[in-house]
Amino acid sequence: MKTVVIGAGLAGLVAATRLAQEGADVVLATKGLGGLPTSQGTIDVWGYRDGKRVEAPLDAVAAAPAGHPYAAIGVGAVKDGLAWLAEHLPDWLTGDAAANVWLPTAVGALRPTCLCQPGMLAGAGATRVVIVGLARLKDFQAALIAGNLTRTGRVEARAITIDIPARSGEADSSALTYARAADEPGFAAHLAAAIAPSLGSGEAVGLPAILGLHTPGVGRDLADRLGHPVFEIPLPPPSVAGLRLNDALTTLAKAAGVRVILGSPVTGLKAEGDRVRSVTLASAGHDRDLVADVFVLATGGFETGALALDSYGTVTETALGLPVRVPDGDLIGADYWEAQPLFAAGCAVDVSMRVLDAGGAVVHPNLYAIGGVLAGAQRWKEKSGDGIAVGSAMKAVAAIMGGER
Amino acid sequence: MSLDFAGHEFARASLDHCVKCTICETQCPVAAVTPAYPGPKYIGPQAERFRHGLSVDHSLDYCSSCGICTLSCPQGVKIAELNSQARAVMKADHMPLRDQLISRTTVMGMFMTPVAPLANMALGISPLRVIVEKTVGVHRHAPMPHACSQSFMSWWKKRPEKPEGPRGVVVFFHGCAGGYFEVETSKKTIEVLEHLGFKVLVPKQGCCGLAEQSNGLFDRASASVLKLCDDLRAAGKDLTIISSSGSCTGMLKHEAHEIMGVSDERLRDVGTRVRDVMEFLWELHEAGELPEDFPRIDLTVPYHAPCQLKSQGMGMPALDVLGLIPGLTVVESGRACCGIAGTYGLKREKYAVAQAVGKPLFDMVRATNPHLALCDTETCRWQISQSSGVPTVHPISLVHVAYGLSELRQLIPAGA
Repeated sequence: MKTVVIGAGLAGLVAATRLAQEGADVVLATKGLGGLPTSQGTIDVWGYRDGKRVEAPLDAVAAAPAGHPYAAIGVGAVKDGLAWLAEHLPDWLTGDAAANVWLPTAVGALRPTCLCQPGMLAGAGATRVVIVGLARLKDFQAALIAGNLTRTGRVEARAITIDIPARSGEADSSALTYARAADEPGFAAHLAAAIAPSLGSGEAVGLPAILGLHTPGVGRDLADRLGHPVFEIPLPPPSVAGLRLNDALTTLAKAAGVRVILGSPVTGLKAEGDRVRSVTLASAGHDRDLVADVFVLATGGFETGALALDSYGTVTETALGLPVRVPDGDLIGADYWEAQPLFAAGCAVDVSMRVLDAGGAVVHPNLYAIGGVLAGAQRWKEKSGDGIAVGSAMKAVAAIMGGER
Repeated sequence: MSLDFAGHEFARASLDHCVKCTICETQCPVAAVTPAYPGPKYIGPQAERFRHGLSVDHSLDYCSSCGICTLSCPQGVKIAELNSQARAVMKADHMPLRDQLISRTTVMGMFMTPVAPLANMALGISPLRVIVEKTVGVHRHAPMPHACSQSFMSWWKKRPEKPEGPRGVVVFFHGCAGGYFEVETSKKTIEVLEHLGFKVLVPKQGCCGLAEQSNGLFDRASASVLKLCDDLRAAGKDLTIISSSGSCTGMLKHEAHEIMGVSDERLRDVGTRVRDVMEFLWELHEAGELPEDFPRIDLTVPYHAPCQLKSQGMGMPALDVLGLIPGLTVVESGRACCGIAGTYGLKREKYAVAQAVGKPLFDMVRATNPHLALCDTETCRWQISQSSGVPTVHPISLVHVAYGLSELRQLIPAGA
């Protein structure tokens, strides 16, 4: 079976890899890298509901209201997706799908997530911590983080700052430059020597997520040297934690036989009857028709340009011009922190993840939509985007390979 | 005209799409190895807001124009193009003599071919290279092309004309390197096309101007590319134009338009008709028109997709095509760039950066097969061959073997 997946975020990478593992011929077409390099490198499933913390994310998924992507995806596909990720990225993801953990953030809040990186785990539930800042890394302000963590009332935190250069000749290094330095042998020993004198007994050590870009175990090495638990706190982009997942999943996809076409947008489709025959790839010089049996749209939401809002209030799906479900009434509310109806706009799908029109009929029997383009969720407020991406990818692949076309 | 365009037109069109996500910075191979270059976002979309036609930061010159930033950008910002334009403006009033010289690829070939043994010997003399480094600024260890004693055109003209093939007619675009230095690649491409049943036309043709463009000589480059379009159009209307010079293909497909603003019907016509040879073979495969009864080739070989091929946004057709040959395992390098970036890695002040950029690739190539590597563009092949010590050829060479037009032992020495 020939398949084309459009988009290389979490949803697209998982769907493409799963399809290839199931024996499909897969082309993954993407106009640029997906969103993972900007992510926290964790897998959120459901973090907040009705303003309250969610302790059991899968229970929240099971209780999703009609119209929410999880209602179509179902708890089984989300569970399968989490298990698949943990199995395939053992170096970078761990956790109990049934329970959220609360991890310190780069502004000193405690954020709920479901799967996290092994090197972050010691941050969950630590009550006495030292936050270690690096003098040349401006995206990680140790005093701010320690102060805010202490204000949560759950943690007693203090800050220290050490000065270890990532490379010579640079006073202002990015987290990525530090992570590349930490991939080299010897860096953990330098860190340990600088941190050890400042530690008191029973303290956990919080560092920016720079402990190796592609080398797992740097944090464990550091913890062994210090004799204290060590945890990483993910940073704003360039997010090393996010890049780890992106690179690992991309490598997995290619190893499974996925052919990646990077750098060209998909700009339309050609149909034969109700079936999609090909999508149009705007490659340099000339357009190219990617012909396949099945197509999976995984282009994301407003943040990637997959959905667009014009000045008349019209929302469109920009790659294929598919029908979009838009909430009634005002799309943007006055309170910035409230759920914005606009963000619930997107493609409506059936339980196989096939795109539906306004009347609820399947638009093309061989066209599926997954991830951020799906209608019905307030991802940023619910912290539900990763679970929707992974769950919808698993659901679509099961439908495609199970012959539900 | 081109420089005016660079100063204030296209550069800003995509600028506001930048959301400062820094994905380009994470992918930049130059920023990864030197603090001298602060990264594509910093020097591109960020600095651009302050330029007003003038440069605010000369570290811009350390951009190698590999284009990986544009390729990776999820928002469609033309970061590399923006930086190439800004550099052209920055260098306009003090263009180094060296950059004017090394961008004249055709002239180099024309002078070296008649005296090939002498030219090759001269390039191998260390004291001479030291003098060249000191006076001209081309690094003493930089990879240099190997002159052939017969140019491609002189081979082509001495060849008996073939009858029209059953598949129709295509045009071959050899590029400067394919005309003078990488003559074997050009010959093999033509032999494969003829084997498939095409009649190949080769009009007299000049340079695409890519080296001039990447050195900021936009006016000269624009004239070169339009002259080339006239040359290629002279072969016939609506014919597919096929090239084994991956980077020159990119110049015709998009770079001349997107970087220099050349908006000319002749360029549009040629740019939509031109195909990289591996892309063309894959199109035949997809149409069910490629004979694929290949014999088994038991070989594992590294393949590096060059930046200017990747930036055409067509995936890696060489990998796809070679994947049709049973027994052959082609391992994609997965490394960003070889470092040379056309003429960047030749320059005295950039040589060390280029070597550091390429190092992970050289290591990977040596570890995968110490006797043979594959890459689609000429200067990248010279860089990989010289810096890894592994002979590097165009992927068409293996297709040539698979169709029985040559033997594997001609690529890999016996006993290796």
